[in-house]
Amino acid sequence: MTLVINQLNKTYSNGVQALKDVNLTINQGMFGLLGPNGAGKSSLMRTIATLQEPDSGEIFLGDINVLTEKEEIRKTLGYLPQEFGVYPKVSAVNLLNHIAVLKGITNSSERKNVVEALLQKTNLWESRKKNLGGYSGGMKQRFGIAQALLANPKLIIVDEPTAGLDPAERNRFLNLLSELGENTVVILSTHIVEDVKELCSDMAVFNKGQILYKGNPDDALGELNGKVWSKRIKKDELADFKANFKVISEKLIAGNPVINVLSDENPDGTFESIDADLEDVYFSKIFLQA
Amino acid sequence: MLKEIIRFEFFYRKNRPATYIYFGILFLLCFAAVTSKFVTIGGIAGGQIKENSPYNLAFMTIIMTFFFTFIASALMGVAVLRDFEHKTESLMFSTTMSKFDYLFGRFFGSFIVMVLIYCSIWMAFMVGYSIGKFLPWDPSWKEKEMLVFDAWSYLQPFFVWGISNLFIQGAVFFAAGALSRSTIVIYTQGIILFVLYQVSDTLLSDIDNKTLSAMLDPFGVRAFSIFTEYWTPAQKNSQIVPLSGVLLWNRLVWCSIAILILFATYFSFSFNVVRNSLFKKKIKKGEIEEKINPESVKIPLVGQFSGFSTSISQLWTQSKFYFKMVTREVPFLAIAFVGVVQIIVDSFYFDKMYGTSSYPITANVISMLDGFDMFFLIIIVFYSGELIWKERISNIHLIIDATPVKDWVNLTAKFIGMLLICLCIMLLLIFMGVAVQAAHGYFNFELSLYFKSMFTSTLSFVLLYILLSFFVQVMANNKFMGFAMMFVFFLTTFFLGAAGIQHPMFMFGSGRLGSFSDMNKFGHFVTSFSWMKLYWFSMVVVFFVLSVVLSVRGSESIMKTRLRVGKLRLTRPVITFGIFALLSTILSGCYIFYNTNKLNQYESREDSEKKQVAYETTLKKFENIPQPKIIDVNLKVEIYPSERDFTAEGYFWLKNKTDKPMKEVHIQNDKEHDMKLEYLNFEGGAKENKEYEKFGYSIYTLNQALAPSDSVKMSFKTIFETKGFVAGGSNTNIVYNGTFFNNFYFPTIGYNEGFEIGSDDTRRKYKLKEKERMMEQNDPIGLSMNLFGDDADYIRFEMVIGTDKEQTAIAPGYLQKTWDEKGRKYFHYKMDVPMVNFYSIVSAKYEVKKDKWVAADGKPVSLEIYYNKGHEYNLDKMMTSMKASFDYYSKNFSPYQYRQMRIMEFPKYADFAQSFANTVPFSEGIGFIQKISDPDEDLDMPFYVTAHELGHQWWGHQVAEARVKGNAMLSETQAQYSALMVMKHAIKPEMMQKFLKYELDRYLRGRSSERKKEQPLNMVESQGYIHYQKGALVMFALQDYIGEEKVNLGLRNFLADWQYPGPESVHKRYPTSNDLLGYLKAQTPDSLKSIITDMFETITLFENKTEKVEYKALKDKTYEVKITTSSEKFRADSSGNEKPIAINDWIDIGIYGEDIKGEPNLLYLKKHKIDKKSNEYILIVKEKPKKAGIDPINKLIDRHSDDNTKTASLAEGV
Repeated sequence: MTLVINQLNKTYSNGVQALKDVNLTINQGMFGLLGPNGAGKSSLMRTIATLQEPDSGEIFLGDINVLTEKEEIRKTLGYLPQEFGVYPKVSAVNLLNHIAVLKGITNSSERKNVVEALLQKTNLWESRKKNLGGYSGGMKQRFGIAQALLANPKLIIVDEPTAGLDPAERNRFLNLLSELGENTVVILSTHIVEDVKELCSDMAVFNKGQILYKGNPDDALGELNGKVWSKRIKKDELADFKANFKVISEKLIAGNPVINVLSDENPDGTFESIDADLEDVYFSKIFLQA
Repeated sequence: MLKEIIRFEFFYRKNRPATYIYFGILFLLCFAAVTSKFVTIGGIAGGQIKENSPYNLAFMTIIMTFFFTFIASALMGVAVLRDFEHKTESLMFSTTMSKFDYLFGRFFGSFIVMVLIYCSIWMAFMVGYSIGKFLPWDPSWKEKEMLVFDAWSYLQPFFVWGISNLFIQGAVFFAAGALSRSTIVIYTQGIILFVLYQVSDTLLSDIDNKTLSAMLDPFGVRAFSIFTEYWTPAQKNSQIVPLSGVLLWNRLVWCSIAILILFATYFSFSFNVVRNSLFKKKIKKGEIEEKINPESVKIPLVGQFSGFSTSISQLWTQSKFYFKMVTREVPFLAIAFVGVVQIIVDSFYFDKMYGTSSYPITANVISMLDGFDMFFLIIIVFYSGELIWKERISNIHLIIDATPVKDWVNLTAKFIGMLLICLCIMLLLIFMGVAVQAAHGYFNFELSLYFKSMFTSTLSFVLLYILLSFFVQVMANNKFMGFAMMFVFFLTTFFLGAAGIQHPMFMFGSGRLGSFSDMNKFGHFVTSFSWMKLYWFSMVVVFFVLSVVLSVRGSESIMKTRLRVGKLRLTRPVITFGIFALLSTILSGCYIFYNTNKLNQYESREDSEKKQVAYETTLKKFENIPQPKIIDVNLKVEIYPSERDFTAEGYFWLKNKTDKPMKEVHIQNDKEHDMKLEYLNFEGGAKENKEYEKFGYSIYTLNQALAPSDSVKMSFKTIFETKGFVAGGSNTNIVYNGTFFNNFYFPTIGYNEGFEIGSDDTRRKYKLKEKERMMEQNDPIGLSMNLFGDDADYIRFEMVIGTDKEQTAIAPGYLQKTWDEKGRKYFHYKMDVPMVNFYSIVSAKYEVKKDKWVAADGKPVSLEIYYNKGHEYNLDKMMTSMKASFDYYSKNFSPYQYRQMRIMEFPKYADFAQSFANTVPFSEGIGFIQKISDPDEDLDMPFYVTAHELGHQWWGHQVAEARVKGNAMLSETQAQYSALMVMKHAIKPEMMQKFLKYELDRYLRGRSSERKKEQPLNMVESQGYIHYQKGALVMFALQDYIGEEKVNLGLRNFLADWQYPGPESVHKRYPTSNDLLGYLKAQTPDSLKSIITDMFETITLFENKTEKVEYKALKDKTYEVKITTSSEKFRADSSGNEKPIAINDWIDIGIYGEDIKGEPNLLYLKKHKIDKKSNEYILIVKEKPKKAGIDPINKLIDRHSDDNTKTASLAEGV
């Protein structure tokens, strides 16, 4: 099954264009949607999740028209929104059970099994009877994952799922996702490069409503091979360098900036060549767009 | 710091558009209220009370504080809550400001803003009344002379009531918001305030609760009305309501409570962001759980279903989920609880009449349970909002919306959840109803009636409002906007009626089932109720379909997108369902319109007023032209109860009683009840002039003029036909069981002055001259006719009535025979002596109780009570009353003129009993189900009312009075006196005093809302509070002063001279109140003549007060009591302007002791001459005095009857 997105456009009533001619084909497996905050990732995710209407364009999952046959999509959908809340006075097991019914799992013993399995899977088993109001951010996030996995979805959309998880939880979650990835379309949106690096066979870089790059992470790295140069500079030199070179990223190491520059050759001889990582891909794409 | 926070809060509010919107709305509302005819606040102005009188301004200002609750809750409730909602509390609480500064800064900042917004009210009033006359539209007071502008009368209520109420409300809402940190709790507070107000109203049905009631109402409205309840129109127009007495106490108590609340808030408000739970957490026992390794868990495959059965099970799961969610909400429980408390309070004050309750028959309990409707409405409006927004507020909506649930399931589930909640409450109410009955010791639970009423009337009410408020919430797509729109909706519906749009098809949810009558059950109301509800229900279903189609799913909330998405939701079932509902709305609407406007004539209030105006202007010229009089009535009336039709066919004999021949006879057909005259002809022939046919008025020119003293037979057939159902005011006289109507349905003679508009305010609107309510006492026209009109003096009467075979039909006269014919039953009645032209026709399924009373001369009178099965409670009391009354009246006044007396019960659509010749129709709503549990505590109203109506057999029937000012003093006042005397000989004096206390209260309240002019008793013009209440007080006092025997002698003499009066009697006219006064004066010694002037001929009030009562024990085991009193006397004019007059009266001084049971008993009661204000009496009694005072039995009219006695205290220095 393949998810095909065709010429998707969306402008909000306040004038912000959230989606600009988005074209994407997403195959089974993990797909990473990488982009900074406010890039329009969530808009795209919501649109795929039948919760938002584009101004134009179309989306197909196999033969299903996502924009008109919403119910068909919803049957196969597992969706974890970027931000969500819960009913504070309901326990995890009850709410999950409730959502399971809404997902159409009407056989009660099956439902009980899947709910229990997911609570165990997401490590919520021990606190399943606690009211969700008392959950920590991470626990709540895991609950969100559990509900997204109800009813063996064929299309899983997880919007910034690792935000708020501690490293151990994050690992567990990514493992969980990778287990599912094989015959499912999993779309993972994130602004954390590591997530994509570790998991995704396919990815896109997304900013300001546009797809800047789409492809295999390895190919992307290949493109940058030998083109990323790094140098440690003084703070007051930063402006100069920014003016003269394609500075795609900067970070502070022990108080002084280290800049990465995109260039076919050593810009002025004083730079060191480094192995590009996905982060450089990400920053270079965004830099080039600007 | 405090100042800074106040300033911050103030500027925050200053920049919010809401502040200006509130101001604007209030201003417009108040401006409209004072300048337009359609919007009114309080509705007490009009008549004598000027619109810009200090009283009205104060009252409107207070009423507006009710409205202001909504704004106060929005402003004050969120003053602190805001920080929690915007999650800025962490920022706020970590600054250096102190808790005191924070809380009180916020409080006073918002409070100042609130006060400023509230200024819109007096500003609007001032502007409205200043420029009202120059506006392009006409204020209702345009033609009226207004009071001179006085700023203080606008500002005083603002300062005294406005600001104090704002403070109280502010404190309550502020505390609720700050402590609960939840919006809905704030609203709950508002409801509690409101319920206190309601409860204070309930308490008032017992007049001993006045002070308690005044204190209980946090808004001060009740205190205000109680404080001013006896204010005359003149006082209301001229005096500013001062902050004193019960008003001052009310304000003090509530402001103190508010201050306490603020302090409590201060001490319990926690400056920590995370609060400790109020309830200690239960420490759970450590359950030993096996460790699970998440990695090893396999997620099982599950079957996923769609289709209809899945939808149904999802629907049910969701419904239960929402149901539980709401029922666990503390505010919901609080609202329901408060509602239940109110009902419990109500249940102590069951349908009270003179402080005596009724039996808690199921019909009564149900109407008490209807008091919960308001709470249903609150619950529905709030929780519809909460449910519609549940997912979005919890921010779980994206998850839920992405599940494969059909679009209709979610909303329908919320609907069912809400409905389940209401159903549970309804069951609870039924349970409470039964419990209340059981608690009253009444065990005839008519469960089926409970269910019939709850699951029709209440259920439909609930359904309509749930669906409406769902629709509003979905369309508004903003919870508070939704609430605001609901509020606006209620206001509009309310004012729509005032603006002349009164057709039930425009009044949301219209179609009342009406109150249940044990006699007529739900009667014919069922039909119109069912159709109206079908119409409304179909309409809200259409709304619901629209809600499903347009509800927000996902993150799109712009209407355009919702419409686009909505198109996708128009599946075939949805479309079919929607079209079906729409068709049902249209078709039922058409059917209703056909019934109300085609089969029947629909008239708005304005339409019928215009008709009245046209009638008056066109036909008034015929008012006093000489006409023949009816002298004989012979009719056959066929009643068809199941069709609610009747026909009357027969003849009147009309006699020319003038000395000139008559050519023209003017006949007025009864248009008010839509009577159809099938034919009307005169023996000897006549030509009909149909010029005024639209008024039902025809002029017949007789072929042969009617010579003086000659008579002509007028035959006619008139038909009453019920067609379908009407828009409003459906006929409750002709019903399935319990028909009761009178001869006003039949053709009458000449112009009918009763059709004219009576209210001067309305008359001014149509540029008609103000109108006197009655003719002067020397008006020869008035003197020539009696209270029943100018159609006849005395008549011969004969009637055959046919009715259903299970029913008994009754008319005045004696039953000649009865027979069955064609499955119907016939009754032939004939009266063998002349009677007045006023007769009733009654038909119902009856049980009969019979008894006999034998007059002193041995003449037997048969007594019969026709009652509805099940209403046996008070039959014996009524029988006893009949006998006692006949004993007393025949002994003291004159012999009873008939051989029979019948009382017939009729349905409770009206609450009165009425006396016709040897028949008294008596409403099931008064008396039949009254519960006299303790004759020493409860007034026996069935006994009293029976005695009153029997009194009319003398006062009204033996002597019919002239139709001029003062007339009712002859009939009603004397019937009151007669009944009082019968009662006096049957009950304890204390109970008499209790009765008279109610009469005094009702008289004083009656005069305070007099719209035209208060008359002295001898000039009374259809003013019930004068001829009933003041009449009873005055006559009771008179017999106390001059002696019962003397009064009776006067009446006996009057009766002897004036029995069966009229133009053909010795006096050549009917008597007036002054004729009677002559006879009473003749029995009054000269020393007391002034009381006749005080009581009958003027409006005189006393202000008697006991200042001090001291006693000391004397050596001979007697006690010396020293009583210090003050007495003043006032005379009032017709609008209540009073001036003090010299006092020179005999007034009771009384001393009470205590009997063995601890009840007060009189040790001393004697009249003393009082001729100055302050007086002191030293009296010796044989027992220890308990209390003493002046006029202790409240025989005189005194506005402060409670201060007449004082508890006796031991004199100092003994």
